[in-house]
Amino acid sequence: MTTILVIEDDVQTAREIEAALVDHGYEARMASTGREGLVKAVGESYDAIILDRMLPGDLDGLGILTTLRTAGVSTPVLILSALSAVDERVRGLKAGGDDYLTKPFDFLELTARLDALMRRNVGPAAETTLRVGDLEIDLLTHSVCRRGQTIELLPREYRLLEYLMRHAGQVVTRTMLFEEVWHYRYDEPTNVIDVHIGKLRRKIDLGSQASMIQTVRGSGYILDANH
Amino acid sequence: MRIIELYRTTGFRLALSFLALFGLTSVVLYTFIDIEVKDFLTEKVDDWVLREGRSLTKLNVQTIAARLDNRKNGEFDAERPMTLFNAAHERLAGSPIPFPMGYDGATTPFEFGADSGMPGVPFRGLTWTLPGGEILLVAESISEVKEFNEVLFGAMLLAGGCTALFGLAGAVLIGTGAVRHFDAVTQATRKIVAGDLSGRLPSQGVGGDTGRLIAVVNEMLDEIERLMREVKGVCDNIAHDLRTPLTRLLAGLDRARRRATNVEDYANSVDEAIVETQGILKTFAALLRISEVEDGARRAGFVPVDLAAIVADAIELYEPLAEEKEINLTSSIQESDPRPLPGDPSLLFEAVANLIDNALKFSPKGGNVEVHLERKGDLTRLRVTDDGPGIPEADRANVLRRFYRAEPSRHAPGNGLGLSLVAAIARLHGIKLDIAGGTGTTVTLEHNAASASSLG
Repeated sequence: MTTILVIEDDVQTAREIEAALVDHGYEARMASTGREGLVKAVGESYDAIILDRMLPGDLDGLGILTTLRTAGVSTPVLILSALSAVDERVRGLKAGGDDYLTKPFDFLELTARLDALMRRNVGPAAETTLRVGDLEIDLLTHSVCRRGQTIELLPREYRLLEYLMRHAGQVVTRTMLFEEVWHYRYDEPTNVIDVHIGKLRRKIDLGSQASMIQTVRGSGYILDANH
Repeated sequence: MRIIELYRTTGFRLALSFLALFGLTSVVLYTFIDIEVKDFLTEKVDDWVLREGRSLTKLNVQTIAARLDNRKNGEFDAERPMTLFNAAHERLAGSPIPFPMGYDGATTPFEFGADSGMPGVPFRGLTWTLPGGEILLVAESISEVKEFNEVLFGAMLLAGGCTALFGLAGAVLIGTGAVRHFDAVTQATRKIVAGDLSGRLPSQGVGGDTGRLIAVVNEMLDEIERLMREVKGVCDNIAHDLRTPLTRLLAGLDRARRRATNVEDYANSVDEAIVETQGILKTFAALLRISEVEDGARRAGFVPVDLAAIVADAIELYEPLAEEKEINLTSSIQESDPRPLPGDPSLLFEAVANLIDNALKFSPKGGNVEVHLERKGDLTRLRVTDDGPGIPEADRANVLRRFYRAEPSRHAPGNGLGLSLVAAIARLHGIKLDIAGGTGTTVTLEHNAASASSLG
């Protein structure tokens, strides 16, 4: 079972995060102070750590992170912060964080990013093709085919599809797509991404009724073979 | 007005110190002139006395006596008395003046006769003892020198007095003006502190440094007033704009409690509530972002940015939307930037995307949106033109304000924060934002590398 360590001092937020993780099918271990969090993070093994940037006391989020990385713990860390300034984000990532989420956040965003983080942790496979159901893309030639039929995609559409396929079965949010496919950090992307997804959907669905790309709760997408 | 306050003013103190300095200079000048003039005149007298005495002593006693008695027929010469005395200091010939006792063997000219009561005193002269024991006195009146001194002293005294009087009056005048002005400034400041932000420091009739300072302070007050008004406007607008979704949220929850009979009803209501809440959170996030951008701290993370690439990316992002709305999205981008603009790529992208988003939002089906990027020397100019309804002239400044929505767009989707964010991003980058109309709207972003490089 996937176990996540949550280091968060605010009781209410911690409880909500715990509930969201449990609902998502993860096990959550909680720590309410920096010291407790550090002890747990070093002593036990977790699949990922959710770390509040601002913690009371002498050991704050960045301090824990630096200590962890120095101690050789490479568990993926998602930093939560009320500070949205770009340089804060950069500092968080430089200290060894793997992703950064600004409060207030959507729990869909939190779990989606967590999934992506742990997937990243598996490490890049040496494969040259990706396959989800009967949809297949060639990572070298960028060609896409489904049921033996070649599908012509624009470069951006291909990158969108590749990202969705790399995270097949996981929820991917608009913000994540924007960051990964367009390479701009955009806290509140317009629904213009829906239009891109819509076009991609029409191309890969080949006229079938059920789409491979489902919209999740208004702000996320999931690509799945089961539809 | 209190004397203490007068004395405290810089103007008064300055005037007083100048007065004192001037007085001191005058005294020094007077003394100098006095000494110089006296020396000059005395030298002239000595010169004559020595010359005359020497030439006379070359003659014998009888000739001297005859010559002295013959001068002006023996009358007393008050200007240049010359007298011959015997060894007992009795007058033998010449001007009838008493012998200057005590100066028998003098070798340098001396002054005498000041208390003799004769006309022309005091004199300055020298005695010569002749071979026969007689003494010759040659002298010249130096009363003029004395008079000159007195007149000079009097004039200096009068001038000094007048100067002191006028100077003091001027100092009082300047000081009073300053006190009065500072009283006015103090009062105006107190009013402003008390909350009247429309108040300004009085600047009439104040020139120079103080005037400049007051002008700057007044400019600062203008800016503070503008910001305060903006904050107030924002607060009003937040209250107003959030009331609508909050009311909807409350109504939906209320309805669920009254009417929902099964789990599905509740689930629907919860979903609706989530959507409303997300909308509210988004509005807050947008507000926070604007203040974050306006903070200016992001300038620290500026990197050289290729605006052409950003504009191309933004256009590419919106192409499918334009297609869907059947709007003709065209662009002309002048490539190659020898000097990339320093900036935050994500923010600039957001600004350009917002402009294109707006243009697409307000263009009619089948309309045209044109994005144009050009460079001329230091100038980089981005123009986004649509042929939507346009923004009325009176509304153009207002659309940059947070939450403001011009009448025709009041019911379009969005939160009225887009252009404020663009304006904030533009300000952060030292970019000039201009909204013009004709048919439709043209928004221009203009960056001048020469003037923006001085940005902090």
